[in-house]
Amino acid sequence: MGLKPVLTKDFHTENLEQLSVYERTGGYAGFKKALEMQPDELVELVKKSGLRGRGGAGFPTGNKWSFLPKGVYPRYLVCNADESEPGCFKDRYLIEKSPHQVLEGILIASYAIGCNLAFIYIRGEYLPQHEALESAIEEARQAGYLGKNVLGKGYEIDVILHRGAGAYICGEETALLTSLEGYRGEPRLKPPFPAIKGLYGKPTVVNNVETVANLPHIVINGADWFGAMGTPTGKGTRVWCMSGHVNRPGNYELENGTPIRELIEEHGGGVWKNRKLKAFQPGGASMMVLLPEHLDVGLDFDAIQKAGSLAGAGAMVVMDETTCMVDAARRYVKFFHHESCGKCTPCREGTFWMSNLFDRFEAGEAKATDVDLLLDIGYSIDGRSFCPLGDASTWFPRSVIKFFRDEFLEHVSEKGCPFKKMAQEAVA
Amino acid sequence: MATVQTDQVTLTIDGQSVTVPKGTLILDAAKAINIDIPIFCSHPKMAPVAVCRMCLVEVEKMPKLQPACAVYVAEGMVVKTTTEQVAKYQKGVLEFLLINHPLDCPICDKGGECPLQDQTFQYGPGASRFEFQKAHFDKGVPLSDKIVLDRERCILCWRCTRFSEEISGERELALIQRGVHTIIGTFNDEPAQSNYQGNWTEICPVGALTSRQYRFVSRPWDLDRTASVCPGCSMGCNIQLDARSNKIGRFQSRENLAVDDGWLCDTGRYSFPNFQRLTQDRPQIRRDGRLERVTYDEVIAFTADALKASGQLAGWVSPAASNEELFLFQRLFREVLASPNLDHRSAVLEDAEPDDMTLPIADIEHCDQVVVLGGQDVIDAAPVLHLRLFKSQRKGVNVLKVGAADVKKALDAVPAEAQGVGILATEANKKAAVELQGKLQKKVKGSVRRLIVTTGPNGRGAKDLGILPHRGPGYVSLNGKSGKGRVEWPGAGVKALYVHESSPLHGFVPTDAESMWLSALPLVVFHRFKPSPLDEVAHVIIPGHAFTEKDGTVTSMEGRVQRIRKGIDAAWVREDWRVFQEIANHLGADWEYESVEAITGDLVRALPPYRAVNEGARVLWSESR
Repeated sequence: MGLKPVLTKDFHTENLEQLSVYERTGGYAGFKKALEMQPDELVELVKKSGLRGRGGAGFPTGNKWSFLPKGVYPRYLVCNADESEPGCFKDRYLIEKSPHQVLEGILIASYAIGCNLAFIYIRGEYLPQHEALESAIEEARQAGYLGKNVLGKGYEIDVILHRGAGAYICGEETALLTSLEGYRGEPRLKPPFPAIKGLYGKPTVVNNVETVANLPHIVINGADWFGAMGTPTGKGTRVWCMSGHVNRPGNYELENGTPIRELIEEHGGGVWKNRKLKAFQPGGASMMVLLPEHLDVGLDFDAIQKAGSLAGAGAMVVMDETTCMVDAARRYVKFFHHESCGKCTPCREGTFWMSNLFDRFEAGEAKATDVDLLLDIGYSIDGRSFCPLGDASTWFPRSVIKFFRDEFLEHVSEKGCPFKKMAQEAVA
Repeated sequence: MATVQTDQVTLTIDGQSVTVPKGTLILDAAKAINIDIPIFCSHPKMAPVAVCRMCLVEVEKMPKLQPACAVYVAEGMVVKTTTEQVAKYQKGVLEFLLINHPLDCPICDKGGECPLQDQTFQYGPGASRFEFQKAHFDKGVPLSDKIVLDRERCILCWRCTRFSEEISGERELALIQRGVHTIIGTFNDEPAQSNYQGNWTEICPVGALTSRQYRFVSRPWDLDRTASVCPGCSMGCNIQLDARSNKIGRFQSRENLAVDDGWLCDTGRYSFPNFQRLTQDRPQIRRDGRLERVTYDEVIAFTADALKASGQLAGWVSPAASNEELFLFQRLFREVLASPNLDHRSAVLEDAEPDDMTLPIADIEHCDQVVVLGGQDVIDAAPVLHLRLFKSQRKGVNVLKVGAADVKKALDAVPAEAQGVGILATEANKKAAVELQGKLQKKVKGSVRRLIVTTGPNGRGAKDLGILPHRGPGYVSLNGKSGKGRVEWPGAGVKALYVHESSPLHGFVPTDAESMWLSALPLVVFHRFKPSPLDEVAHVIIPGHAFTEKDGTVTSMEGRVQRIRKGIDAAWVREDWRVFQEIANHLGADWEYESVEAITGDLVRALPPYRAVNEGARVLWSESR
């Protein structure tokens, strides 16, 4: 357990974004090895490795690949680089530092599923990362890793890089596909799932940046090597994006199962300004809050879920004792209200209403009954929305009500935010 | 012996077992056993989108509530639509829908027939807990000269945008902005051009999309509703004529899957002001150059005597008269006045024949190749055909639109292995259609059928009943006793003209040559529904009933005989058929019709294929031969 740089192992190497440097660190050896294998062998290898998707849902990658219907072509691989979960910045780091590693992963996945045209849907705001990928694709093309006849092996692959236009919803895989096709970014009805009917109605696999970045290492080192890392149901490592009230925020690649305490206290240098830890949020803006009592939970899909939250896309937002949890929830709710695509009623109207209610707490005009009203609104959104965006908009605020109901009531009785008052008094 | 039907699925809904075909939605399976699941976005003619989330129900073994409008049934599925969880959620979603809805029901056209209103009463909470400023949007936005949009009332069900995409294929309406700010609109706010916009108002489950013509006209419960047929063209779309205080408020669709598929075009839907009666006019006779008011009895006696005395006679009936009127009119001319000069047309056309309607409208979907000879001309003549053609295209039918002269192009484009070919053309292009049909019959394996779009809501009936100079009822040849057609009348020494017109949409519009002739005619009898320019040259004016004011039957272009019903009561106007009968009887006939039904009965006896009238079915001429 602990720090285990696999994806980030060579990130200290200068100019790693250049093909020649990447190749010197062993780059593209995985793809070359993969090309010697049968696609089915690759799928089996990834299945055996136990790699689970790093985008948030944690679905086994090999299984996802094997859902593609036999004999239906063309089929597409889409790499989801639309990292837009507040608190997450690992994909940005992975692309920026080593765009070729991501590209190599895409090539391996494409070969494994029999795809000749792959797409990268990158968040619009990630302009330098877009440029990094763009030059990586060009370099790889020049070097023969992309093209009609890759490395003379008769495999054809090309990669199209597409920039999003700034909508959180486009990180949801079906909305991403809709957006990629040129329509409004809105989630699609499932079933059919993308594996059956995805991009342009064809079988499609959507994989996260970090997921594909794992592939070259799995191909080179084998499933057993990968399986030896992490926990029984969460193999390998994850890059955790730590932010908030810590001394050393940043990306940390840790073996799965490493206690949260180690991430925050050891690698993050503990809570800043010598303050106490009040709460933390794994996974990103969507996920439920956890408390100091959960510090010994391991960084792993199942362990975090058991503790009452979700590992999501690998964020770790740390909140110190001066944090107003009502305000934290308010900010997230406002984010979801702003990003709701408007397709379904519960998310569109519910986030609007919740946002209004939170503003009322902030303004000191809330009523004690508003706390239960928030829960009631949550009842009609969570599990009823068209896609997880709506559901997730309720998770953090409801978990905050569960653990910090008193803070809501204080906002009511003190007619405003007690933390703000404290801060103002401290300044005075 | 019981057989296992693998294409059937048995499931349980609210404790009741139901067996439905595979591929049925939970919503429809529930409907089959009269279990009502509330919906807003779902529409039987559009693909499910599951956006409104109103129809969520419990399905055993599924952790979340499921949208009944989008989940297909499975064997052994157990669905519950009335549990506490579902009921609580239904209250929740209605509360959501209402937080940004203006609740201006008292001044909303939809109030009283509004699904949002009805379902709020049935499933919703009694009061709202929302205490904030509602999101405000533009109200009274003109989407076009026909439609006004209230963006505050809109609940974003996507029905109108999906209609625009899936039903009319025009993609004129779209969703703009996102989240709670989402609105519907047209590109760049340009006025909508579609000819099917009225349908948006009908499928809108709230009062967001309203017809300009019907805005603030009536409360739904004040309307008298009459089932009839659209007077717009020969398509025969079924309508509901909604009138308030004996004034037409609107035409609404009345689904007939075989004809209109539930839709109307704007040309027909918004044609009703033409049938609005402006004055209570009376019979008039021109004396010393001035029209003088007389009684019906006077005008009938005068007309009968004048017609009898005038020598060479001609009679023209607009293709909007009922079959009963047409039947009596041709009897009056042929039997009583002994004049064969009958017509309903405005120009010389190819001969009419029963073969012009071998392709029923609904069968367009079952062809594999459809040639629209004349392209947009055909659509303009019967606009709802476009929706049928687009639906067919979506089902995989190859629809080929070519110019009226492009027979060769069409012939080359249809592959020899075609199984079923349909040809659509207007009356004006019938010759080309027949030529193409003949050539295709030699080329392709399958059947080749044609459908000729006639003019007026009863142009087909006029042909069937022999309002033609050379054909009697049932297309019988007159064997040398043919009369002259309309275009020949000015040069044929016709001295007296009887014009019967019950729709201003398909009236007698004189050509320049005819105008000269008309003004010099010794006798022009004008039997019409409302004052028109032809009054100027008329010697006798007999007020008659409009298309919307009479009972009877009309025959659509495909030969379907359908009933029209009196939606507006113009009781002071004597029925047109009664006027014909009284003229005939004044001249010695002994007709004793006492009702429209009696004439229909006689008509069917004279023309047995017209027994189709009893089922609203198509006249099948071939079977009777």
